[in-house]
Amino acid sequence: MTDRSSWPLLLIAVPFGYLVWRRLLAYLRYFQQEGYEHLRFIRWVKLRSLFDPAFWVSVAGGLLVARFPLTAVVCFGAVTMLLAILQPDPRRSGKITLNLTWRATRVLAVASVLAVTLWAAVLGAYPDSEVRAAFLASAVVTALAPLVLIMANACLAPYERHVQRTYEADAARRVREIRPLIIGITGSYGKSSTKAILAHILQFAGPTLAASGSINTLMGVTRHIREELVFGHQFMVVEMGAFKTGSIRRICQLTPPAAGIITAVGDMHLERFGSADEIVRAKSELASAVPAGGLLVVNADSPGAVRIALGATHCRVKLYGEKSTEKLDTRLEQVRFTRKGTSFVLRTGEAAFSCFTPLLGRPIILNIAGAVTLAAAAGVDPELAIAALRTLKPVPNRLEVVEERGVTWIRDAYNSNQLGFRAALEVVAALPATRRFLATPGVIELGPEQFDVNRALSREAAAVCDSTLVVAEANREAFVAGHRDAGREARLVSVPSRSEAFRWLRDRLKEGDAVILENDLPDLYERSAGVFWKEPVRAS
Amino acid sequence: MTGNAPRTIAVLFGGRSLEHDVSVVSGLQVLHALDPARCAALPIYIDHANRWWMGDDLWHRETFKAGGPDRSRLTEMMLAPGFGASTLVPAGGSFHVPGRAARIDVFVPVLHGTFGEDGCVQGLLDLGGCAYVGSGVLASAIGMNKRVTKALAAQTGVPVVPWLSFDRGVLERGASWLKELPARVEDTFGWPVIVKPCNLGSSAGVSVAASPDELVAGVLNVFEYDVEALIEPFITNRLELNVAVAGLDEPVASVTEMPVTQQESPLTFSEKYKKEGRKTVGSIEGMAGALRVLDPEDLPLEMRERARQLATTVFSLLGCEGISRVDFLIDADRNALYFNEINTLPGSLAFYLWSAAPHFWTLTELLSKLIQRAERISATRRGLQRRPPAELRLLT
Repeated sequence: MTDRSSWPLLLIAVPFGYLVWRRLLAYLRYFQQEGYEHLRFIRWVKLRSLFDPAFWVSVAGGLLVARFPLTAVVCFGAVTMLLAILQPDPRRSGKITLNLTWRATRVLAVASVLAVTLWAAVLGAYPDSEVRAAFLASAVVTALAPLVLIMANACLAPYERHVQRTYEADAARRVREIRPLIIGITGSYGKSSTKAILAHILQFAGPTLAASGSINTLMGVTRHIREELVFGHQFMVVEMGAFKTGSIRRICQLTPPAAGIITAVGDMHLERFGSADEIVRAKSELASAVPAGGLLVVNADSPGAVRIALGATHCRVKLYGEKSTEKLDTRLEQVRFTRKGTSFVLRTGEAAFSCFTPLLGRPIILNIAGAVTLAAAAGVDPELAIAALRTLKPVPNRLEVVEERGVTWIRDAYNSNQLGFRAALEVVAALPATRRFLATPGVIELGPEQFDVNRALSREAAAVCDSTLVVAEANREAFVAGHRDAGREARLVSVPSRSEAFRWLRDRLKEGDAVILENDLPDLYERSAGVFWKEPVRAS
Repeated sequence: MTGNAPRTIAVLFGGRSLEHDVSVVSGLQVLHALDPARCAALPIYIDHANRWWMGDDLWHRETFKAGGPDRSRLTEMMLAPGFGASTLVPAGGSFHVPGRAARIDVFVPVLHGTFGEDGCVQGLLDLGGCAYVGSGVLASAIGMNKRVTKALAAQTGVPVVPWLSFDRGVLERGASWLKELPARVEDTFGWPVIVKPCNLGSSAGVSVAASPDELVAGVLNVFEYDVEALIEPFITNRLELNVAVAGLDEPVASVTEMPVTQQESPLTFSEKYKKEGRKTVGSIEGMAGALRVLDPEDLPLEMRERARQLATTVFSLLGCEGISRVDFLIDADRNALYFNEINTLPGSLAFYLWSAAPHFWTLTELLSKLIQRAERISATRRGLQRRPPAELRLLT
């Protein structure tokens, strides 16, 4: 290569290198959100990278370079640089920003090396026409950027597995040494809330460890144990999420539960499991892990959960519920919602306890029944447990009522299932308000039933809310259909994004109004994901 | 200041406490108020994990929004080991930039609540022989504990509201307290009572209870934050009166102020520190955001003077330094003044109280005086005799 010919190459390589770096960061954000799972990431990516303007700029450069070599190279350099700068930094933008953990950094580093190698390999394949090959290489790298990340992750997989195993072994050793009484909680929904409520009660009986938020994977629990579990902890409440059959079993090996709660078995994440039977099988791994003579507390209102209870013959089973016809150990009665909270009665055998909690929503009150049942069985005085319910604090974004300038906001962004959706509608209908609004993208991951479920929710919302804002594409048609069923199409407003929904609301809200913010999809499902540039906010 | 050479002043803010955000607001105020002609100010941010960070980003309030500062743009620092080094050096890690050690002349802790206002950081600075503005370990630790402060104050003849203290250890001894405590409180004070954590500043965990149920809930609520609950009769028709005291050559009391709040409940955390569309007086930053009246003339002059005098009494009793804010309660029905609590590191260093008669000091002037005082105290303490007398020298 002579000095003369290396200039165009540099003019292509340097801005393009910067652009690829930015793109890798952008894709990495979503890869991270998908838990570095290749299939799920690919399902999000689809052909997205072919819509990257940088790809087409590279193709155009390749086509034009024969006739206008200088123009093609200079324009390419300028445009790629511009595209790189226009791309929002995923570390600072978006709902869930890219968190450059050590793992993400490793993936990024290896992916960068792979990208350079790929680019150089294409270049090397056409030694006669280097500049044109450089355009071709740029097009290939742009198109394959998401795959490059996957490749990088695959290269690192043995190392990551090794690291994770080491951490797990360390965490398991800590658990064995400290020997807290472990309570596992699983279910299709209500896990995090039940965990928080139970931990809240147990803290008054002894030092209790429970992760805040919804840490519920093997990796999350491992990390939490290594960072937080210390000698002196008497109880540990572990939320166990099931992403596939076997995941709860593995968490139970790390944290062998002395007792368990199954909050509900329903249709959440049906897409991931394939069938309802498979979900029951996955959740029953917790029941199997409870030792002989141990305690299993089960929500009898959920038929799937009852199936698990019937199968658990090796341990003591206690049932709680509200509607179930089974003989219950704890029955929920007389639920009443006010803006300050919920009053209700818990009936256990002969005794009936009048309770009050600042929390709202029927499912949450049912979770309280489960937590109190377990706490009482674990030796906490029922009076103390009931007293503790008064000091529960709403979890942010889980049916949290916030008053702002006379407007009642019911924030339920973390809910993602139809049960919670209906609960929010029930609460907003019970609270006094002049007008009621709902902003939601609907519920997702329901497989073939998704359309019908959202259509039904939309119909119910139309009966309660004066206006419903359906956010993004995922369930728009189902919501239109639902409102049509209810004969209230005029009450439905379609908006492309969450920020757009807020803008719409802000212009219209008056004192005395109530708004539900229901479910908040990860970035993945919003139309304007803003991977390549900042999406302009369109007026509706 | 003695000597004209510019000082390097490290302002510590943030911290592992409920009042982290308040501290960041106060810290930035102090940082920007330091006289650039006389000192080089260095912001040191202490995060929730008690790690110390240094960097230019820390000058800006925006840095602290949404998840806190971008750590990759900061350098983690620690106090160099050994007495008297008074130097911040980059902390461990294999990628640290060498040579970024900073020799600090005076530290200004602007930390509120646990680990910062309770003597912990002060103890660390003492171990390093560093000069710092504000109360030392003892005064900080006592001031943080409302029960001990009240007991000491009462013994000196300062009027206080009677109290019952209730230890978290009771949870280990069965559930009988659920009935006994309300009965005891009813006998002693009647209803309503105010329940508060013994060891927290701010209003977190404070509630008013008018029934046994509410009392138990209030106590449990405190036990989420603290290991000791304080129960006092709730003065229904109450007013609050605050005075700041500065430890200069002798304690100097500021003008009094009356924070204006709702009558039925004590200041909640958000009322104290956020302004929610209400009219504000003075600066909109931090504590100054609440609606307040300086030197309330509706109140008898004798009462205002008495508060100022009692404030300096408590300040001296505890051996405070720097700025403290001493809070009083007035029972409007009985026209009685009670000492309530002392904040040894108040929000914004209560600077707004010095901006009125009789002082008219700016925060900049006030800080200069305090820094000078801190240097003198540190030098004095260094000069204290540390050579053991002959009978203690066993190993020579």
